[in-house]
Amino acid sequence: MPLNKALVGKEYPPLTMEVDREAVERFADAIGEDGAVFHDAAAAKVAGFPEQLAPPTFPTRMQIAVSASVAADPELGLDYTRVVHGEQAFEWLRPVHVGDVLTAMPRIADVRARGPLEFVVVESEIRDAAGEVVLRARTTLLSRGTGTSES
Amino acid sequence: MKTRPHFEDAHVGDAIPTVSKVVRREEVKAYADASGDQNPLHQDDAFARSVGFPGIIAHGMFTMAHVVKTVTDWTGDPAGLLAIDVQFRAVVFMDERLEAGGEVKAVDPQSRRVTLSVWAAVEREGKRVLAVKNSTAEVQLD
Repeated sequence: MPLNKALVGKEYPPLTMEVDREAVERFADAIGEDGAVFHDAAAAKVAGFPEQLAPPTFPTRMQIAVSASVAADPELGLDYTRVVHGEQAFEWLRPVHVGDVLTAMPRIADVRARGPLEFVVVESEIRDAAGEVVLRARTTLLSRGTGTSES
Repeated sequence: MKTRPHFEDAHVGDAIPTVSKVVRREEVKAYADASGDQNPLHQDDAFARSVGFPGIIAHGMFTMAHVVKTVTDWTGDPAGLLAIDVQFRAVVFMDERLEAGGEVKAVDPQSRRVTLSVWAAVEREGKRVLAVKNSTAEVQLD
């Protein structure tokens, strides 16, 4: 079944995540990031940052939760067993650091078909506790075999 | 600290140093826990085979993190990464050697920003398979 294109523009409930040291440490280890600023608050401060930095893709933790809530939206009609992650973009206005409390405001930016593939584009603006935008994330999910036209 | 490239060092067509690693099952498991993405496709071989793969695959975002690290290893400045846009074109299997790199596509003397094309690839059955292609990153240099 084709996806519901009427959902373009739909906003989802905000998602808040506190950037805690242990989670940052675990994430940096998992991706093989051994830079001192990602492991040591003192090293980060020497480099001019307020706290130990999170690796740039650390907000993936939010993007995954956001994608899951969009995918579970019965109005959209996504079959998660057909979904693959097609594209991911981030734009950073400043690095994320330990102690940040980030809130993502997800919305469906686009739903389109190309042949048997359908694309769902989810954009999130992610702000800190002061309300400043820290980064923007754009996730493109591909739904295989739900488009109506032939490729 | 490694030496950071200055804007004047970057020329269109220059390649940045590649970074490679062998993708290990334990790392992909660690990434599932660290990212919160517990999709069985990345943890359960029987499940992965049931959807047509020979075994579990790495998360796309695991591959993206390696591309990002390749860029920030080059700039030496985590605050210098302004944006990245990555397209996932092929999956990555366990014990494959994942290599990432990039090439300078454009330089802007006014802002001292550099646009890179970035990629990630594995060798599979003697052929080079691009896991990430048609992708770009934008960095700020000193």
